[in-house]
Amino acid sequence: MTTTHTLLALTTALAALVAIPAIGAVRSAQTLAPSMAVAADRDAMLILASGEDDDDDDGDHASRRSADDDCEDDDEGAGYAGAANPAPAGTVAPPANGLFGTGTLPQVQMN
Amino acid sequence: MKTLLAALALSTALVMPELALARPVTLTTTMNAYGGNPAYLALYVTDAQGAYLGSLWMAGGRSQYYQHLSDWYQATGGNPSEINGITGASVGSGRSLTVTLDLADALFDAGYVLHIDAASEEMRNSPNEIAVPLTTAGAGQATPGRRYIAAFAYAM
Repeated sequence: MTTTHTLLALTTALAALVAIPAIGAVRSAQTLAPSMAVAADRDAMLILASGEDDDDDDGDHASRRSADDDCEDDDEGAGYAGAANPAPAGTVAPPANGLFGTGTLPQVQMN
Repeated sequence: MKTLLAALALSTALVMPELALARPVTLTTTMNAYGGNPAYLALYVTDAQGAYLGSLWMAGGRSQYYQHLSDWYQATGGNPSEINGITGASVGSGRSLTVTLDLADALFDAGYVLHIDAASEEMRNSPNEIAVPLTTAGAGQATPGRRYIAAFAYAM
């Protein structure tokens, strides 16, 4: 009986160990998502209000491939029906596409 | 006693699948010294028939350039919701990108394939530069790229 109680307590503790990070991840996703949506809306409004022409004046959009993240200032339309840029890693939970667990956020390193 | 054992069995049954659902997987992409601007990379998964399942990582944060990651773009339409929370900086020539993700166990040994599309400014697009089956046996083995990527490997 004592052994059974011990086992029951052990598995309950194990369940709590698994559940707490999962609940935390869900809560952080719920709290971060609205703020990112506001930020995305603000970016979209800024682009609309700027009225600036596209700075990319080389006239060769077809040959444009990609660019460094911090050295471009052109505001040409986004690829997905004028959508804003995606939320960076660490600001929201990864998409619920079935590929990810709920345990930890992505970690990235560049060398 | 029977109730207690039933509770024990139930709690164990609930816990064990959860523990086995996902595991940390490290994806390492080493770039060639191709000499151009930092490259955009799209890491995504398809099934064995090539049907898009989802994205794992996007290196490069500006959506207007995603059209040059042509296979990924064709599958997603460039929808940023596919890569919210899994997007980082583009990767420079000769540099190495290491990403650790909590990935579902179901992705491995089930016929799924990890792909990488690559592109750099004023250089040629390189769709499907890497296509590597996700298997536990394939962990730690480097796969060479064609143009921008020197090698890709995943570790579990």
